[in-house]
Amino acid sequence: MGYRIGVDIGGTFTDFCVFDEASQALATLKVLSRPDAPGEEVLHGLQEIERRFGMAPTEVSYFTHGSTVGVNAIIQGKGAKLALLVTEGFRDVLELARLKIPDPYHLFSRRPAPLVPRDRVIGVRERMNPDGSTDTAPDEDSLRDALAIAEARGAEAIVIAFLHAYANPAHERQARAFLNGLRPDLPVFCSAEVWPIVREYERSITACIHGAVQPRVAHYITRLEQALAARGVPVAPMITKSNGGVMTAAAGKTRGIEMLLSGTAAGAIGAGFVARQAGFPRVMSLDVGGTSADVALLRDGMPDFRAGELVGQYPVYLPTVSVSSIGAGGGSIAGVDALGVLRVGPDSAGSVPGPACYGRGGVQATITDAFAVKGVLGAGELGYGAVRIHRDAAVAALEGIGEALGRDGAAAAEAVIALAVANMYREVSRLFSQVGEEPSGYALLAFGGAGPMLGCLLAEELGMAAVIVPRTPGVLAALGGLLADLRSDFLRVVFLDVAAAAMPALAEAYDGLLTEARAWLRDSQGHRGEALVTVTADMRYRGQSYEIEVPLEPEWIAGGAHARMAEAFHARHAEIYGHADAKADVHLVALRVVIAGVTPKPALPAAGLVDSQPAPEALVAVTHGGGLLQASLFRRDALPPGARFAGPAVVVQDDTTSWVPPGFAGSVDAYGNLILRRGEG
Amino acid sequence: MDSHQKTVLDPVTLQILKSHFEAAAESMAYTLLRTAHSAFVKETEDFTSGLTTPDGQTFASPKDLGATWFIGLDYAGAIGAFDEYRPGDICITNDPYSGFVCTHAPDMHLWMPIFAGETLVCFAVGHIHNTDMGGAVPASLSRALTEVHQEGIRIPPSKLVSAGVMDETLLKVMLRNVRMPEQNWGDLKAQIASLKTAERKILEAVARFGTATVIAGMHGVLDLAERQARRLFASIPDGDYGFTDYIDEDSPGGVPCRLKLTIRIAGDEAVFDFTGSDPQLQSALNMPTGGLPRHILPLVGYNYVVYSLDPTVALNGGLARPVRCILPEGSVVNPQHPAATGMRSLTCVRIQGMVIGAFSRALPDRLPAGPAGGGGILNVRTTDARTGRLAMASINPITGGGGGAAEGDGLDGSNSFLKNTPVEITEAEVPIRVLSYGLMPDSGGAGHHRGGLGTQMTFRLATPNSVVTARNRDRVRFSSWGAQGGAPGATCGFTRNPGTPRAEALGNTDVVRCAPGDVLSISASGAGGWGDPFTRPLAAVLQDVAEGKVTEAGARAYGVVIAAGALDAAATGALRATPRPEPQAILFDAARQEFEKIWSEAAWDRLAELLFALPVEWRFFMKHEVFAEMAADAQAQADPVAAIERGFAAAAARHPQIGPVTRRDAA
Repeated sequence: MGYRIGVDIGGTFTDFCVFDEASQALATLKVLSRPDAPGEEVLHGLQEIERRFGMAPTEVSYFTHGSTVGVNAIIQGKGAKLALLVTEGFRDVLELARLKIPDPYHLFSRRPAPLVPRDRVIGVRERMNPDGSTDTAPDEDSLRDALAIAEARGAEAIVIAFLHAYANPAHERQARAFLNGLRPDLPVFCSAEVWPIVREYERSITACIHGAVQPRVAHYITRLEQALAARGVPVAPMITKSNGGVMTAAAGKTRGIEMLLSGTAAGAIGAGFVARQAGFPRVMSLDVGGTSADVALLRDGMPDFRAGELVGQYPVYLPTVSVSSIGAGGGSIAGVDALGVLRVGPDSAGSVPGPACYGRGGVQATITDAFAVKGVLGAGELGYGAVRIHRDAAVAALEGIGEALGRDGAAAAEAVIALAVANMYREVSRLFSQVGEEPSGYALLAFGGAGPMLGCLLAEELGMAAVIVPRTPGVLAALGGLLADLRSDFLRVVFLDVAAAAMPALAEAYDGLLTEARAWLRDSQGHRGEALVTVTADMRYRGQSYEIEVPLEPEWIAGGAHARMAEAFHARHAEIYGHADAKADVHLVALRVVIAGVTPKPALPAAGLVDSQPAPEALVAVTHGGGLLQASLFRRDALPPGARFAGPAVVVQDDTTSWVPPGFAGSVDAYGNLILRRGEG
Repeated sequence: MDSHQKTVLDPVTLQILKSHFEAAAESMAYTLLRTAHSAFVKETEDFTSGLTTPDGQTFASPKDLGATWFIGLDYAGAIGAFDEYRPGDICITNDPYSGFVCTHAPDMHLWMPIFAGETLVCFAVGHIHNTDMGGAVPASLSRALTEVHQEGIRIPPSKLVSAGVMDETLLKVMLRNVRMPEQNWGDLKAQIASLKTAERKILEAVARFGTATVIAGMHGVLDLAERQARRLFASIPDGDYGFTDYIDEDSPGGVPCRLKLTIRIAGDEAVFDFTGSDPQLQSALNMPTGGLPRHILPLVGYNYVVYSLDPTVALNGGLARPVRCILPEGSVVNPQHPAATGMRSLTCVRIQGMVIGAFSRALPDRLPAGPAGGGGILNVRTTDARTGRLAMASINPITGGGGGAAEGDGLDGSNSFLKNTPVEITEAEVPIRVLSYGLMPDSGGAGHHRGGLGTQMTFRLATPNSVVTARNRDRVRFSSWGAQGGAPGATCGFTRNPGTPRAEALGNTDVVRCAPGDVLSISASGAGGWGDPFTRPLAAVLQDVAEGKVTEAGARAYGVVIAAGALDAAATGALRATPRPEPQAILFDAARQEFEKIWSEAAWDRLAELLFALPVEWRFFMKHEVFAEMAADAQAQADPVAAIERGFAAAAARHPQIGPVTRRDAA
């Protein structure tokens, strides 16, 4: 028996979720992050856990950890200085990207500056054919020249991304071997080994991001391992991944690219766990922090996966838990322009100076300030005592907005909140229409510091019937990391027609992937338990230029059942796009295997529901719809499973405040989740 | 909702409604994008979706989805085709000459009334570009076509669905006349689904806010955009700001087409006067506007300018309210039926640049120099040697960058919503070998802030019977302009088998038949530079040279001397110390300056006067006659206006059947 710890390092706070295997109790903790000294906050947190809960580092039995160190390297431009070696004639692969400018109406719209500037992108004489055969082998003089230029321009590492390397990585590997021979200490990365997708920009940028973050990530993980060992933690840390899984620290040191978006991914995994626990099959998670709001759609607790998610300004094409930013966070700033138009965001007060009501020097009105003026915030502490609400400062900030709008501060606060919610409504509507679904069939799971404040309002706007506020809304990513399985993705581009003739090649590709996947789980991760394998294919109609991912049965591949595969594709196409063409030729671009090694899960016991209607701790005055309401104030700890109450109510807890408007009824389920249901009419 | 909201809506409610309207328009776009069949919708995003008032003013469009040209498209001409609408009606048209909503036959426009009870709240509208609408050539588009009848079947405004009942006959006739009926039908269904999405979203808003409030909101957002635009005009000094530009060829192998614009700003309003633009053409480059004073085609660049100056403006039809266009009847910007209009996009793009140029005369520090363009959109049709199948692929748009500006260098390589096709995909799908694809060094105009570079692509064809098309090619002869002392960008290039004895310049050719082994090299023009290039910081020039965006030879345009990789500081100092010409607000390329020695503004103006006095059918013919006379007139440069008159008189004498030339007012 020991303690299982999940840690998620965010921009402002580092969150801890601790599961006591003996008592089956979950404890949480937040400490301030230390961007100046990454890793220190983890040690600080361990100290606090020992001090507060009496859990010693030596008793830790499992430790997962997500960090922003890789993302920050990209955002702050502090990654390794790279040279990129490309096929001669294609030097602008990063510069041109996919051409489209981000804001086509704007004459000054810019694509982001290329991650590797053009003077360190160097053409090499070589050429691979699309079928993987050699046209021209890598030319050694050309490589020697490229190395000389790269070194003269200060490259600290080299990325090789040749055309058609997805079909055959041999040229990239030959080039690396040659460079290694000349400079054994210079790190060299091959695009097809980082992630072997077809499409040269997508593969090259993914490889470059990997090359840029790898040295920092490896250094960071090494230091963390040493520090944990020095504190007597007997297990090696696991690293959370963008695909919602975990990997060993040793793997993390060579696969830095896989952990970049692990924070939001783990948040979605944690949200999925809560959604299943609370019994809601279709859930939209809403994670609102200080600067942004993130949304994920969860079906049966499972998120969607997507390639091309942004790290800073650059897309990464490894499969990543699909989480969409919908703009506003609690710190989003409100303003009124010369024509009297109110806007909320995109500028944010962030955590420094933060909203005016944090009393840290912020003077501009934010969404959080609007809730302070409204009367929802300020009745309890925020952020584990780290933040006190200075309502006066919020009132002063909102009065400026009110003057510009010709109304009082309270009405201005209502306006800011209503507009913030309308903006979120718009962004969420986009997401739902992209997948062809209606929000009304979903429940909203609100977490993050500001999510439960906005959740009911957004649910109302979207026509959603229920809002779930988990017991520990501030540390869902840390919880997600604790729950995550060992998980890795494998892909091979095959470009085959779905027909009898292609089946042997497909079977061979599948066997190769499966061998690779099993070796990863067994050898790299040392996993001996249950393994789950899923197979999918990127398929399309001949002539289409985009693929859809279709789940396949392994027997179809082994048994040469190409007709079944085509049927599965037609069905999936119809499901996504509303139509299919059973007569058209089907093309299989790439085969994918995902392997998951199941990790032990904390078993959180369900409490018995005891029907109760606790008396509010106090009544607080809240402005709503132009009037003043007396809202019941509850402490979250004082709402046991089975408790029921009616809105208007404010529920405070250490790390968040929930606003329950009139018309909503609250109850607490067997796991301590707060379920807020919208009444009829 | 109470009645006073009918007239006055508070600004916060208005902003909230604006979010709901935009959500509806965006949901329409995603529904279309998701369920459409054709590549034109799914990849090129050549479609629109939106909401209009009952009288056709577009009050909501998606901001980052679909074609960016049609913000504020006026549907009045289409909606007005019927006296009455009932719930369940869905109307269509793709006729460029019925109501001037559709602008070329491939664009199928739909509109559907949305009722709340008895009240017609608004229309859901939108279009997609069909890959083919029948007619003389596959895809229905060719510069060489001369009559709209050649450009496919045209459906005048019709109720495809009337109170819920589909007009099967109309549908059958339409699908019978196009080359890929299943694709058109698939896309049409997607369009209908998109309209229904809008209806759901608007009825949600009606349920939430009330009919009167929603209606007030529609007008409110239009009024807001109008106020924003008027505020902008009021901040610009009153005056006339002119700009003239050319399309290289007014028809295949033809002579230049002149486009002339004068923007007259007075107070918070402006007139866009296109008088002096060429007569309508015997090619498909005509822009069908019906002379409507706020037609979208001449105002695309205006929307870009307004938005770039103030990105907080509401992008809707209200922005155009302070503007009135003068579009002379029978001209390239207001052709009479049956002039062909299929390739009006080339003309529209040129005018977009002219609008930017004219505004930059008023606001030189706030707008860029001339944008790149003219590279064309490359497609190849060939046979795949491996399978023997017909292989077709859209290879790439050959694009160029944005102009340099006071705020910085122009963006290299692109200035639009177009996406490229990965080389790896192209090579896997069609038997061509791409030899290079990237930026064209030295193609950006030199400047204190450099113009954006154009892109180039070189590829080799492997199989017989290959046909490469490059739609919308231009800028081979005349280039983009520099601003405030900056230099013009480089022109486009198109060569078969470059660097061999068989090399062949293809100019503005847009259809090339190729033999196996043929190599085609194609490049876009570069954009103009901004400010005197000799003032560009040395470090910036050296960085451009290190990056290969400017060659060592090209650095001389910046007064920088580099020999064998090393800066010659002394020679650079000496060169930069030489006296500089007076910076010109707008500087055109040498070819244009040479051309205008004969074809001066006065000469063109006189020619326009003479031509517009003729019957429409004579104008294009006589223009070419006068061009031939001018080419043969050794004295033309001495007095171009007199030469025009001589040439016109000589041509008129050859064709006495025109009759006595009496002035007919063109405008």
